[in-house]
Amino acid sequence: MKLHLLEPHHGRLNTVIQRTPAELKLGGGLVIITLTVMLPAPATVWLWCATAILGLVVLLSRLPLLFLLQRLLLLAPFVLGVTLVNAFQPAYRAHWCWLVARSVLCLLTVLLVSNTTPFSEVLRVLRRVRVPTLLITTLALMHRYLFVLVEEAERMRRARAGRTFTARRRWQWPVLAGVAGQLFIRASERAERIYAAMCARGLK
Amino acid sequence: MNPPPAIEVQNLRYRYHDGTEALGGVSFRIEPGECVGLLGPNGSGKSTLLLHLNGILPDEPGANGTVRVNGALLSRANLEAIRRQVGLVFQDPDDQLFCPTVAEDVAFGPQQLGLVGSEVKHRVQRALVQVGLPDFDQRTPHHLSHGEKRRVCLAGVLACEPSILVFDEPTSDLDPRGRREFKALLRQIPATKVIATHDLELVVELCRRVIVLDRGVIVADGLTRVVLDDEPLMLAHGLEKPHILFHRHPH
Amino acid sequence: MDSASVAQSVDPIMHIPDGFIDGKTVVVTATLSAIGVGLALNRVHHTFPARKIPMLGLAAAFLFAAQMLNFPVVAGTSGHLIGGVLVAALLGPSAAVVVVTTVLIVQCFLFQDGGVLALGANIFNMAILGAGGGWVIFRCVAALLRGTRGRITAVAFAAWLSTVLAAAGCAAQLAWSGKVDWKSAFTAMVGVHLLIGLGEGLISALVFAAIQRTRPELMQTGPSAEPHTRWGEFAFFGLLAAVGLALFVAPLACPWPDGLAVVAEKLGFALAATPPMLPVLAPEYSFPGIHSAALATAVAGAVGCLIVFALALLLACVLVPKRTEHPSATSAPP
Repeated sequence: MKLHLLEPHHGRLNTVIQRTPAELKLGGGLVIITLTVMLPAPATVWLWCATAILGLVVLLSRLPLLFLLQRLLLLAPFVLGVTLVNAFQPAYRAHWCWLVARSVLCLLTVLLVSNTTPFSEVLRVLRRVRVPTLLITTLALMHRYLFVLVEEAERMRRARAGRTFTARRRWQWPVLAGVAGQLFIRASERAERIYAAMCARGLK
Repeated sequence: MNPPPAIEVQNLRYRYHDGTEALGGVSFRIEPGECVGLLGPNGSGKSTLLLHLNGILPDEPGANGTVRVNGALLSRANLEAIRRQVGLVFQDPDDQLFCPTVAEDVAFGPQQLGLVGSEVKHRVQRALVQVGLPDFDQRTPHHLSHGEKRRVCLAGVLACEPSILVFDEPTSDLDPRGRREFKALLRQIPATKVIATHDLELVVELCRRVIVLDRGVIVADGLTRVVLDDEPLMLAHGLEKPHILFHRHPH
Repeated sequence: MDSASVAQSVDPIMHIPDGFIDGKTVVVTATLSAIGVGLALNRVHHTFPARKIPMLGLAAAFLFAAQMLNFPVVAGTSGHLIGGVLVAALLGPSAAVVVVTTVLIVQCFLFQDGGVLALGANIFNMAILGAGGGWVIFRCVAALLRGTRGRITAVAFAAWLSTVLAAAGCAAQLAWSGKVDWKSAFTAMVGVHLLIGLGEGLISALVFAAIQRTRPELMQTGPSAEPHTRWGEFAFFGLLAAVGLALFVAPLACPWPDGLAVVAEKLGFALAATPPMLPVLAPEYSFPGIHSAALATAVAGAVGCLIVFALALLLACVLVPKRTEHPSATSAPP
């Protein structure tokens, strides 16, 4: 995975969509996705409506189109897989287009919501709808240390590669597994330090 | 009557689970308003000592030596009260900034104190202004520079309004400008300060007194100028006489 | 599909996007997942010491970061760790379910990997079947073979089997939604993941052994302080995984006899689609007996399991030399 593709786009832009309350965006997104998935077979009218709404949001949010298209390609492997599996099933072929259209609309919805809403806002909404605190804490910590650990892994991988002189494939697996093991150990040490820092600031 | 010492440590010992002795009977006292430098080579027990000052270590306080903060003996019962008075700034700011946004992180301490609503907001804003980052509340810690992270850490501790501040390597990994700015910031804060560091210039500029720790015991405790000028002592404990002293006292 | 797209699409195959499962599947999987995750959260809340709580978030970040490490396979392709069983072996099943669920939620929202309404299905497949069910398998094997070698064998075998189970769950949900044909989906998904699972088992065992070597005290799998809880978790996750699988698979397996000829055609297709490295295991699955396809599949599955088990045992013997085995062979009661 390319990391630059994963960095969300919010923060750089400040349009009407970015300023909309997170509750509205998350709720609206959920409604669009639910309708798109749940409405029986063709539901042509709704699909066009959804397309229009999302198109408007894309325009208003001023997210780069190329970025959106790149992310939509994420669907490709799954669509491809299902297509191949059903290649000899004429009964499924008719539904195929609708299937892909629905998936694209749903993916685009999540894409738009997540790139115009900071994660901390999402957590706030989750807290408001009474998702268990433990899950929210875990989500917040994961999000906070995601890139810290990804960078740590990358540094370790490079350091190991710098000292590995044989390019033989066979030996790369233990080396990479060693990196992953080291990463886990460092993560658990960091978790202890984070707990100490929480205590130092009066965690009850 | 004189006020009680800000920190009084008596015969403090600590052993890690694997048996290595980190502290072998440490005693000292620090008066209110003092700024004390804590020196010593890597692995001398500096960080371990700092963790004792607000009761993160040991698991059972009081068994091996005592720590008193503003006269009160640190024990399991008054842990919360002690942590309110002693603010600890860790070495790696990434460990200390665990919240999604700067504002939430600075608010963590006040919230644990039981404050709510506008009082928390007020404290967060004041702490951020104090460290010179008033507009940073909605930023995410991941996108801050190292120096900015350090300042936010400090803001998170200042928001709890402690009377004693304890720093572990506050200037490590900072570039010269970041170091200069952070030193200026430290100078402005009136609280009692204990600073564990390898940055001898910082010690010379900010601390009147230093304590030198090696292998878990105090090997020197006195005026900065006198201790750091003692070249044999410094070299014996993995330190060196800072250049800044050479310039001021040409031989 | 050549081996390249197989290996590189490990993730997307498993993360079902929105639109690929229908309403009833969404509701059923979401309910099952909510029960499983709810209980896991409750267990963690009551049995995890407070100082270990931050580790959940860090373990989730670890899983994500570890998935970025590409293990080269052949000709420029690579696979990566999925990690449910690894985390379960390190932190226990409830924690692992919470950790994997967290990873899936973040992947769904931030990286659009897997759909929103399909989140229940994905959590069921990867957290409950993959991590919870994987841990049940791990525990069974670790009870059978004691010591470090036993645990490494258990990690490797459980990682393989849980990957296959998760793939079967995924195929069943897609078929249940009427989006794919059950038999061809099952053959293709399970066929591909028999292979991917081998990689997963090998990586999990290597990482587990690496951690075991440097920090044996981090291992949480030793004699547990609260055996009752462990038994409770064992029964619960075992049961939930079984109920879920039965629920999805049973209605599909019933209209089994209709058109063996069509099946054969599809199986032929599946063989062509799976890479040529498969010969050891795939043929068992793709030669359904003329009399009873179900029986043949079951027998082939059992044989495949035995082969992989032997491989896992061999791997453990290679990773843990005899002389280092005994001093650390202290833990893992049933």
